[in-house]
Amino acid sequence: MLSRTAEYLYWISRYMERAETNARLLDVGYRMSLFPNPNGYNNEWESVLAAAGAIQGYKNKYNIIEQKKVEDYLFFDEDNPSSVYNCILNARSNALVVRTSFTPESWLAINKTYQEIIKLKNNNFNASDLPNLTEWTIEQVNLFRGSLSSLLRNDGYNFLYLGLFVERADNSARLLDVKYFVLLPKPQYIGGNIDNMQWSILLRSLSSFRAFRWAYDGDVTSTKIADFLVLNSDCPRSLSFCIQNIVKHLTNLTCSPEKVNKIYNTLKDLNIKIQEEKIESIVNFGLHEFVTQFINKISSVDSDIQKEFFN
Amino acid sequence: MFNEMYQSESLIRNHYNNINEWLEKMTAKVINEKNAEAETHFRNIGITFSTNSETARERIIPFDLIPRIFTFSEWSKLEKGVIQRTKALNAFLADIYNQGEIIKANIIPKELIFKKKSYEVSMFGFTPPRSIYSPIVGIDLVRTNHNEYFVLEDNCRTPSGVSYMLENREIMMRMFPDLFHTNRVTPIDDYPTRLLQTLISLAPIKCNTSEPVCVLLTPGPLNSAYYEHSFLSDQMGIEMVESTDLFVEGEFLYMKTVDGPKKVDVVYRRIDDDFLDPLCFNPNSVIGIPGIMDVYRTGGVNICSAPGAGIADDKAIYVYVPEMIKFYLGEQPILENVQTWSCDKDDDLNYVLENLSDLVVKEVDGSGGYGMLIGPKSSKSSIEEFRRKLSANPRGYIAQPLLDLSFSPTLIKNQVEGRRVDLRPFCLMGENAQLSSGGLTRVAMNEGSFVVNSSQGGGVKDTWVLAE
Repeated sequence: MLSRTAEYLYWISRYMERAETNARLLDVGYRMSLFPNPNGYNNEWESVLAAAGAIQGYKNKYNIIEQKKVEDYLFFDEDNPSSVYNCILNARSNALVVRTSFTPESWLAINKTYQEIIKLKNNNFNASDLPNLTEWTIEQVNLFRGSLSSLLRNDGYNFLYLGLFVERADNSARLLDVKYFVLLPKPQYIGGNIDNMQWSILLRSLSSFRAFRWAYDGDVTSTKIADFLVLNSDCPRSLSFCIQNIVKHLTNLTCSPEKVNKIYNTLKDLNIKIQEEKIESIVNFGLHEFVTQFINKISSVDSDIQKEFFN
Repeated sequence: MFNEMYQSESLIRNHYNNINEWLEKMTAKVINEKNAEAETHFRNIGITFSTNSETARERIIPFDLIPRIFTFSEWSKLEKGVIQRTKALNAFLADIYNQGEIIKANIIPKELIFKKKSYEVSMFGFTPPRSIYSPIVGIDLVRTNHNEYFVLEDNCRTPSGVSYMLENREIMMRMFPDLFHTNRVTPIDDYPTRLLQTLISLAPIKCNTSEPVCVLLTPGPLNSAYYEHSFLSDQMGIEMVESTDLFVEGEFLYMKTVDGPKKVDVVYRRIDDDFLDPLCFNPNSVIGIPGIMDVYRTGGVNICSAPGAGIADDKAIYVYVPEMIKFYLGEQPILENVQTWSCDKDDDLNYVLENLSDLVVKEVDGSGGYGMLIGPKSSKSSIEEFRRKLSANPRGYIAQPLLDLSFSPTLIKNQVEGRRVDLRPFCLMGENAQLSSGGLTRVAMNEGSFVVNSSQGGGVKDTWVLAE
C-alpha cells in the first residue's frame, strides 16, 4: 500500500469521527440551552467550544458566545478547520484520492454526505434545525462506519481504524479534561441539579447516556461515571477501549513489523496500566493529571504513526 | 444530412426498431424519473469534472438516454480503420525517433517534425518495448453518410473519456435492463482488463517477472479527468500514484509504500511530458520524478505513452496520416481524413482567407472546441476578427470544410429531436492491437450546434455495437 494511501485512509476516519464528536457536542449544548441553570443559559456553549478544541478560533472571530454563532461555527464555518462541514469536505477529498482502496459503498457513503452538506449549507438554517442537523451527521457517520464492514481486513482497514481510535481517544480525553472537575467528589455538589446536569452532558456527548445505566447498578456517582468513561472497556468511547483498539489495529498491521514494534513499545505501559488501574487511585493521583498524560501519549502515538508510515 | 435512426422521415433503420418501440412507450414521467436517476447516479459515483464556477464546484456531463447504435458490419469497418491508423501512427513515431525514413522519402518535410515542441529530442535513438509509443489511442470520428466516416483528430498522448464509455453503459443496464434482453449489445466491461494486459505486455527489458507492477500516474484531484484516473486504476487493481509517491534509486523506479520501496515496471501516465522529469524536461516543474527518464532509457521502467508521442497527433502532422498508412503499411487508408488547409502554405492561406465564411478554422495547438471559427455559423464581425488573427499568425491555424455531422435522436425536453454526434473509440496496442467494442459518443445538445465538447454544452450517450 502506498504511504500516501495509508495516510489518507487514516485521516478519512479521523475526520468522520471528528464530525460526529462535533455533532454530539452541539447536541449537548442545544439540550443544555433548554434548561435553566443558576449562571444563566449560555455558559454551556463555552465548554462545548472548549471540548471541541475550537475556543481560540471562535474567539478570534466573535466577541460574544452565543448559541447561533457557536452552532454555525462548529457546524458550517469554513474558517473552523474542524467544523462538521470542513470535516466532511476533507474526508471526501481524501476519499476521492483513495477511493480505490476502499469499497464503492464507503465512497458512496462519504460522497452522498458531501452532496447533502453542500445543499444544507446553501439553505440558511434555523437554530431549531440543529437537532436534525446533528442527527443527520451521526447517521451519515454511522453509514460510513457500516460500509467499512465489507472491506478486506488488510492494512488499509487497520489504518482506517487506527485513525478512528486515535481521534476518538483524543476527543474523549479532551472532553474529560474540560469536564474533569464535575467528576471530582465535592460534597456540596453531590446530588445537586448542576451535578446531574453536568454528568449527563458528559455521558450524552460520549453517546453513553443510556449505556451507563445498563452498565452500572445502583446510584449514579461521579466515581462510577469516571470509571465508565476512563477504565470500562465495554464502553466504546472510554479511554481504555480506545487504547485497546489502537493496540489491536496497530499490531494487526502486516507491514513493517519493526515500525509496529517501535510504536507499540511506547504504548505498552499505558495499555497495561489502564487495564489494571482502579478508578480510586486515578482520582487520588489526579484525574486531570491522568487525562493530560493520556492526551500527550495519544498525540505522540499519532505523530509516530505519521512519521513511521506516511513519510 | 445523415440521420442515425431515420432512413427517411417515416422509415426507421432496422437496427433502431427496438429502440423506437421503447421510446414510443416511454412517458414523460418515466423520462423525467430516469434522467433524475442518471444524474443522481453520476453525482454519487463522482463522475464529475471541475469547473472554476463558484456556484457549482463540480459539474456532470449531460447524459442522453437514447443509445447510439452501430451494426456489426458498420463497426467492423471502423474497427479495421482505427486499428490501421493506430499502427501507422506508432510506426511513424518509431521512424522519426530513429532512421526517419519518411523524411528521407520526402513525404513529410523535416522542419514540420523537428521544430515542433511536441517532438522530444531525448527520445531520439531510443526504442520503447515492442516499438510501441502510443499504446492507447483515441480517434475522433464523425459520420456524414451511410458509409462515410472522417477522422477529425487522433489522440496519441493520454486520450480520456473511456470512463464515460463504461459508466454510460453501466447506468443504461441498471435503468433499462429490458433493453439488453431485446438487443444483442456487445459488452464493453472487459476494457480495463484489456488495458491492463496491454500495459503488462509492454514491460521493460529489465523486468524479470511475469507479473510486472503497473501504476497509473495522475497529476492529482484537480485534474479534470481525475475521476477517470481513479476509476481505471480501481478497475485494473493497480495503484494510482502521484509523482511524489515515486522516486528513482539506482537503475529502477520505486513507489513509497508502508512496507518500504516497491519497484514499478510500467507507468501508465496521465500527466503531460513536461511534468514527467524535471531533470529532462521542465526544470521549473515542482511535480515530476527526477531521473525517471534515465531509468526509462535504460530499460528499467516503461512509460506509456512514450514521451514525445504527442507529435503524432499534432494538427499539422494529421494531414499526412493517410500517406503514413501507405508508406508504413502498404495499405490504402480505410478511414478518410478531412480535407485540411495548412495556413502556413501561401496557396492554402489565400484560399482560406477568401473562403472564411464557408470554413472551420482551428488553432493548431487548440483543444476543447475553444479558439475556433465555424464560418457558416459566425457573424461578419467575428469572421473579420479571425481574418486578422489568421493573417498575423498563419502558422498557428488550419482550416477544414464544415462537415455535416450525423444526427442522432436525442431527448430534448422529453421530445425526440435530432442532434449532431461524433465518436471516440479507444484502440489498445500491446501484444495485440484491439478496439473497444464501443466508444464515447458525444452529442451537441444545443439545436443546430456542431460543437460536441463538454465544456461547451456537449453531452454523452451510450454507444452500442450489436453482436453479429
